[in-house]
Amino acid sequence: MLRIEDLWVSYGHVQALLGVSLEVERGSIVSIIGSNGAGKSTLLNTISGLVKQERGRIFLTDGIGPDTAKLLPREPYRVVKLGVVQVPEGRQVFPGLTVRENLMAGAYTVNHAGRVRRNLDRMFEMYPILKERARQQAGTLSGGEQQMLAICRGLMAEPKVLLLDEPSLGLAPIIVKGVFDTVRRIRDEGITVVLVEQNANQALAIADYAYVLENGRVALEGEGRALLCDPAVKDAYLGGAQEA
Amino acid sequence: MLVQNILNGISLGSVYALIAVGFALIFNVLKFSNFSQGGVMTVTAYAGYVASRYLSDRLDSLVLFAAVLAAAAVSGAVIAAAVERLAFRRLRRTKSEPVYYFISSITMGILLENLITIYASSNFYSYPRFFATSAVPLFGVNVAVTDMMMFALSIAALLALLFILHRTKIGLGIRAACFDVNTVQLMGMNPDFLVTTALMISGALGGVSGVFLGMNYTLYPQLGQMVVKGFVASVLGGLGSIHGAVIGAVLLGILEIFFISWVGAGWAPVFVFIVMLAFLLVRPRGIAGIIVQEKA
Ligand SMILES: Nc1ncnc2c1ncn2[C@@H]1O[C@H](COP(=O)(O)OP(=O)(O)O)[C@@H](O)[C@H]1O
Ligand SMILES: [Mg+2]
Repeated sequence: MLRIEDLWVSYGHVQALLGVSLEVERGSIVSIIGSNGAGKSTLLNTISGLVKQERGRIFLTDGIGPDTAKLLPREPYRVVKLGVVQVPEGRQVFPGLTVRENLMAGAYTVNHAGRVRRNLDRMFEMYPILKERARQQAGTLSGGEQQMLAICRGLMAEPKVLLLDEPSLGLAPIIVKGVFDTVRRIRDEGITVVLVEQNANQALAIADYAYVLENGRVALEGEGRALLCDPAVKDAYLGGAQEA
Repeated sequence: MLVQNILNGISLGSVYALIAVGFALIFNVLKFSNFSQGGVMTVTAYAGYVASRYLSDRLDSLVLFAAVLAAAAVSGAVIAAAVERLAFRRLRRTKSEPVYYFISSITMGILLENLITIYASSNFYSYPRFFATSAVPLFGVNVAVTDMMMFALSIAALLALLFILHRTKIGLGIRAACFDVNTVQLMGMNPDFLVTTALMISGALGGVSGVFLGMNYTLYPQLGQMVVKGFVASVLGGLGSIHGAVIGAVLLGILEIFFISWVGAGWAPVFVFIVMLAFLLVRPRGIAGIIVQEKA
């Protein structure tokens, strides 16, 4: 669904990505784990076009057959129009807009009122709390609710690929579980998911495939389950306390 | 006299409101006070005048008035879009500090004002009289027809603004961009488009107010410096609040009219500024700040 070839990105003299290549298969969850500052957000922001690469190419391969790959445009709004939608780190809901307005903002690229309404109903069905709070300002929601809102806002764009940047950040464990359930459900609906996480344990557990990013490079890759058992990964990212 | 003053004040205030909400809108999106609006108002006041010259043979009264306002609004929108392109876009690309926008916008304001000075300052112009009857009785006093028109049309323009902001997709985009002009890109919105649209709306409002000011006073290149009234009103209202800006503008209009009748036109601005400073000492966040606090 996405193919990234030899991506180099820097901020001035800080080199954030050094030749990252990866492949995201259609309909899968691909997790990208790594410690703080490894370049995970930079990777997603480069895919989204918010950050421009110095070198490397990003292809959207949503057609069937090998020669249907097309380069992703570099203007963020055009990336979204092609169905690659990011839910940013820290949720970034619009605090002074209502919950409903936030969702409608997500639907900006969908020019079909009936479909927008249907999608909105689906979100409200999935998360009745959002319906209850539809007229409330998004800034008054709890962290977990804001995360749900941010994900639903992304879904309102009818994405083919959803890029999630640390959706479990700063949330209580019980809410984190709900977030990961949601991610799995999104994949089951046929949406390809790229999940960036520091919460390596659960991110690997639900991943079909995963990459470990270290200092702007891919240090390891493999099936999620396999990485979960990898001793190097265990040491560096899973810590001692490990209960799945 | 009291009723008369209040009515005059409200009418004047409604014109200031057009300027003030333009300020509030741009302050929300770009986080600076857009003084280029003054230049836009000067140019549009003259553009409206030119339109009135060309059209006065063919149209009359209300139709002529509407055509002149439309011409001024359109030219205001076009000039504001040009200002965005020339003065703000590069600053947005380089993510510059608000102070650069501020300087850039003042520069554009001065430039526009001086272009008009070069081309038009050697002659005095004034708008034709649009309406046959000049005043009608209301609440036991005579109210000027132009005052009533200014009031009614300002209200209509403000309602149109609220409609755009709250009932259209572009309006939602602009309001979202007020919170985070970068994140809106992840919703598929083009910030260039949203910012330009916001400036065009503000320019169109400035155009309408330019005509009103031109009708109220005579046409002169410094007419656009009335933009300060809009700025004062939006500060009184609480910078960035559209509703606050409207309330601030009406208060300012009424204050001005009263001070003019008590101390004369020369001293009135001094007293108005004193009142504003005193108010801001007590309420640094303006009128909207009060409303927000009451809600909380
Ligand atoms: N806007 C920025 N300006 C300068 N350096 C940045 C910026 N954003 C990220 N970096 C640097 O790039 C590196 C990767 O950051 P980031 O992609 O945010 O990592 P992660 O999301 O994995 O925590 C870090 O060294 C960080 O300091
Ligand atoms: Mg990050």
